[in-house]
Amino acid sequence: MVVVNQTGDIVLLNRQAEKQFGYSRDELLGQQVTNIIPEGFAERLIADDLRSAEDALEQQIGTGIELTARRKDGTNFPIELMLSPLTSGDTILVTAAIRDITVRKKAEADLLQTVAELNRSNEELGQFAYLASHDLQEPLRMVASYTQLLSRRYKGRLDTDADEFIAFAVDGASRMQRLIEDLLSYSRVGTAGQPLVATSSEAALEQALANLDVAVEEHGAEVTHDPLPEVLADEVQLIQLFQNLVGNAMKYQDSGVPKIHVSAARDGERMWDFSVKDNGLGIGPEYLEKVFGMFERLHRRDEYAGTGIGLAICRKIVERHGGEISVESQLGEGSTFHFGLAEAGSS
Amino acid sequence: MKLLGGEGKTIEVLLVEDSPGDVRLTREAFRDADVSIRLHVASDGVDAMAFLRRQDEHIHAPRPDLILLDLNLPRMDGREVLAQVKEDPNLKTIPTVILTTSAAEADIMKSYELQANAYLSKPVQLDAFESLVNSIKDFWLTRVKLPQRPDG
Repeated sequence: MVVVNQTGDIVLLNRQAEKQFGYSRDELLGQQVTNIIPEGFAERLIADDLRSAEDALEQQIGTGIELTARRKDGTNFPIELMLSPLTSGDTILVTAAIRDITVRKKAEADLLQTVAELNRSNEELGQFAYLASHDLQEPLRMVASYTQLLSRRYKGRLDTDADEFIAFAVDGASRMQRLIEDLLSYSRVGTAGQPLVATSSEAALEQALANLDVAVEEHGAEVTHDPLPEVLADEVQLIQLFQNLVGNAMKYQDSGVPKIHVSAARDGERMWDFSVKDNGLGIGPEYLEKVFGMFERLHRRDEYAGTGIGLAICRKIVERHGGEISVESQLGEGSTFHFGLAEAGSS
Repeated sequence: MKLLGGEGKTIEVLLVEDSPGDVRLTREAFRDADVSIRLHVASDGVDAMAFLRRQDEHIHAPRPDLILLDLNLPRMDGREVLAQVKEDPNLKTIPTVILTTSAAEADIMKSYELQANAYLSKPVQLDAFESLVNSIKDFWLTRVKLPQRPDG
């Protein structure tokens, strides 16, 4: 604790301040406070052309001001100042409570460094996933192409064992190709994303349906939608999001006609809550959160094929857009996927 | 000018590709050609330039009607081959089609800057690859009118 007058002279100090700064009391009394706090303190107290000392002080009361203090031996340390006025007769004095915040500052710096390192390692991991899947594609393309050629040219010309072995190899290779393609698109959500701009979600849905037209026809699906709003989005990713959700809605079906409806309702002032509702199999309560996890699958491969990455991609896209994705469902009653997007024009 | 792929005419294609698996796949895909195509293979950029300039063992090499060029090659990469072909007054009229696994925007831009005649990405699926080779046959070796070979 140091008490200073309006011209910046130290008029009083306690034991704690002596210890903090490494001076004895006599050495500091009457000295300018700039000797121990070179910058940022005196300027705040002294009257100038624009304001009186009272006003100057008024503005600083109670605020924690972070400054650098200097010890007698010339070393610096970070401090936090709390100022309060002390009126004594006609003179206005200022009491400055000084807290050494070396430890806190170091913790803050450590935290910042940790965050920076985490970001870097996250980025490296994303880059690694991308490069690994990209480079894996090449040798895999050879395995897949040549097993397909084998199967095409030699089916029925070897023996039934050979046909079976080749079929397993072809199937394994093409599943791995889908897996790698999905992994690549998952990692691209982060690395190849475009800025979010005003985008017609209706046009995005129409494009997604056009991309799915073969599947829509195969399943005989009825896909309908309400008028849909303009939102802030990366159009390519929004198309992918609709495509994955509508694609899933068609796929996870018993045998009836898939009926899918897409709508959007206002959610607060600047958000839209989109719904993709289907009449499919539905999801048991224990899986409602799990379905968005990487590689999570609820069905055997011979029932419904898939890599377990589609909904993880959806979640990553929605989160990149600042929203959340969730699903409401009951087994046998269909599912409704919800996700939030910001309205165009809000940012 | 004459239409290539006419009666009895052999079409010479130079494939610059370092992966033997890809070379064979391309060969297989070209195999059922209804036009007579002779596929020559150079496995890196240096070899490709020697073939085109008829150096060393390539002294009797024919002038190709079409070059199919991979970008990532040992010794001299495809971009350098493309640059050299398009700077050479004797070679620059040979249509040069990039055929590579890269779909990177930078590679596409760079290739067209270097005067590539087309840029094709190798599809991952065999069916799609075969259909791509068929379109190359159909367009570049059948429909397109190519410049006459100076020596042919």
